Amino acid sequence: MNLLPTEEQQQIVDMVRGFLAASAPLERLRPDKFGQIGNPDAALWPKMAELGILGLGVPEEGGGLGLSAVEEALTYIEFGRALVSVGVLGATLGAHLAARTMPDIAAAIMAGTSAVGLATPRGTVAGDDGIFSGEFHLIEANEADFIVLLTSDAIALFRRDEFMGQSERLSMDSHMRLMRAALESGKPLSWSSVKDGIDHARANLLIAAYATGVAEAALAGAVDYAKVREQFGKPIGSFQAIKHKCADMAIAAEVASCQVSFASVILSKNSDESRFHALASRIVAVDAALKNGATGIQVHGAIGFTAEVEAHLFVKRAHLIDFIGGDQRVQKGQFIGADAVI
Amino acid sequence: MNLDYTAEDEIFRAEAREWLDANIPREVRPPDGPGMREFDLGWQRKQFEGGWAGVSWPVEYGGRGLSLTHQLIWYEEYAKAGGPNAELLFVGCNHAAPTIMARGTDEQKSYHLPKILSGEVAWCQGFSEPNNGSDLGGLKCRAEIVGDELVVNGSKIWTSSAHLADWQELLVRTDPAAPKHKGISWVICDMQTPGIELRPILIMTAPGHHHFNQVFYTDVRIPLSNVVGEVNDGWNVAMSTLGFERGTAGMLENIRYGAVVERLVDMARQRLGASALENDDIGQRLAQLRAEVTAVRAMTYRIASRAAIAPPGSEVSLARAFFSQLQQRIRRIALDIIGPDSIELPEDDPWIRPYLRTYSNTIAAGTSEIQRNIIGERVLGLPR
Ligand SMILES: Cc1cc2nc3c(=O)[nH]c(=O)nc-3n(C[C@H](O)[C@H](O)[C@H](O)COP(=O)(O)OP(=O)(O)OC[C@H]3O[C@@H](n4cnc5c(N)ncnc54)[C@H](O)[C@@H]3O)c2cc1C
Repeated sequence: MNLLPTEEQQQIVDMVRGFLAASAPLERLRPDKFGQIGNPDAALWPKMAELGILGLGVPEEGGGLGLSAVEEALTYIEFGRALVSVGVLGATLGAHLAARTMPDIAAAIMAGTSAVGLATPRGTVAGDDGIFSGEFHLIEANEADFIVLLTSDAIALFRRDEFMGQSERLSMDSHMRLMRAALESGKPLSWSSVKDGIDHARANLLIAAYATGVAEAALAGAVDYAKVREQFGKPIGSFQAIKHKCADMAIAAEVASCQVSFASVILSKNSDESRFHALASRIVAVDAALKNGATGIQVHGAIGFTAEVEAHLFVKRAHLIDFIGGDQRVQKGQFIGADAVI
Repeated sequence: MNLDYTAEDEIFRAEAREWLDANIPREVRPPDGPGMREFDLGWQRKQFEGGWAGVSWPVEYGGRGLSLTHQLIWYEEYAKAGGPNAELLFVGCNHAAPTIMARGTDEQKSYHLPKILSGEVAWCQGFSEPNNGSDLGGLKCRAEIVGDELVVNGSKIWTSSAHLADWQELLVRTDPAAPKHKGISWVICDMQTPGIELRPILIMTAPGHHHFNQVFYTDVRIPLSNVVGEVNDGWNVAMSTLGFERGTAGMLENIRYGAVVERLVDMARQRLGASALENDDIGQRLAQLRAEVTAVRAMTYRIASRAAIAPPGSEVSLARAFFSQLQQRIRRIALDIIGPDSIELPEDDPWIRPYLRTYSNTIAAGTSEIQRNIIGERVLGLPR
């Protein structure tokens, strides 16, 4: 038993972190760098493809690197820290779904030449035997060929044109592109239910890992600021009201990161406990991202309320990912219905 | 990362399970008094005779010399088997013994360690004072060095089970002129020494429940040879024990709480119906608690993984601060599930006393606020 990354796993983390520091620094999301609407991350996909990141956990026979859910989760923590477009989640999950039966599509996704958006329910979804109907939000779908739909009990890969009436909306997280669309007896290219295998659990795990990264980045931003901003002649981090807020953020991030690690090992074994541990990790990690995102703004004071520092980005991204496949209320309903794992 | 156990680990687990099945006490643990002492020491003796008392203790002190992973496996099986929470043993096994191992003399080790491990004696902790709780470093209980003895005068308070203990780990001020952290000594005190008097203090969990004490020392003579570590280096000696208490010693409790949450889930399903639970406020809160207690196990594993490389540092306060408040939320929800009858306090009550007891979790062994100071300053590097 060892819940710390191995040397090889740490090398992957360092590689991804180094790549993102150079190619996707948080400053890229400042209004004077890129703008307040949309994001510059489409340019990342081919570079990430070159490094093998988009097919990291896809089996080698499916054209991926054949690493496990552990390495995938570790890289997703980094994606969350850098607020990489959640389109990356579409790519990873889409590649997994395509790899078994549609090698050409999987190859295009992993090469970064076909983008994959996300679909998430706006209400109830009718989904009998792999035919889906309902109203959805599409996220990062504007340039996508494919869409991964995540509901609380299924995951499915569609061609984007299965979705009808696509109409743009401005997103609260304005760096992410948002549309509304509908499926009327939409037929996916590939899908799996929460009962078969770990595809669905993987989605929850990677959302949890991403949320953990968001929580960690919000914490790091708050702590850095609390060390340098002075009021009453001292750094604000010396005031307990601020220090204890930072401590609570650190606790939330640690809780999330530990459970994400644990769940990732469980998934890497294809264990029956995958769904339970992935849901647990999603619940604590999204909670951490939401809380740390909010607290981070307060620690900054007025500058935190501006678009000129990153603080506001974390809570918005946290809200967005909360809704992918169902928000905390939905996930907790699922989780309390699940059998105990002791 | 892996959660794999070697074949040898699995054999160890099977042996632990088998032994626990056959030996776990079936009778209810008395909550207090000499009956509780007898129960806890008897159980410790039994574990010792079975070879399970000191799984990760070094062989030279009577333990098995196994890894922290083995200790964790033992705790997991212990929790699964519903082993008792033998709190009286905590200070001896988890504070005094590790401190003596780290800083004691050969005589101190060979005299005390076997007695602690085999359940011959119980220890208590005399750290807090009426005017020094969180500010432990400012403690005033005075010990003058007279010849080859310390002469102690002063008072300690909140000393859990002082009335049931044979020995005490006692912090005293040996040099009042030195800066506050530099004039303290860590002393082994025999509770039968003349000049020690106790005042029982009743606690809030139930009428008449005597848990801790104020201890008064009047010219109490303790041999100088009972000082652990150097005279006036007691602060450093004490800190090594507190680090231990906040880290690995809490593992058993962490693991045990998973089962508490599952009992609550079962109770809620019975009372509210499984399908109603999914959308109910109680179901939502229980789901959150279930996820959090699952994460506590993961945190425990990470602490154990780190401890295999280096002794636990300030980062263990993350898990401790989280867990103490989580225990409160877990115990609190029991009342909402039980409903109106939760204002009754039945004799065989599994929920209300434990709920009331959790109010101490964020106070004892370093309050939540002090834990947050530690996290802020020593983990995050924020200024004092
Ligand atoms: C059930 C139980 C068992 C115990 N058993 C023992 C035992 O066996 N032996 C022993 O020696 N002690 C024992 N204690 C005592 C325990 O260690 C102290 O209660 C604890 O250290 C806090 O000290 P205090 O009670 O004096 O509170 P205080 O230090 O007076 O604190 C009061 C409040 O002020 C806050 N506060 C204090 N300083 C700060 C600060 N710097 N920043 C922010 N907030 C602050 C605290 O967090 C708390 O909320 C026990 C306590 C309990 C509840």
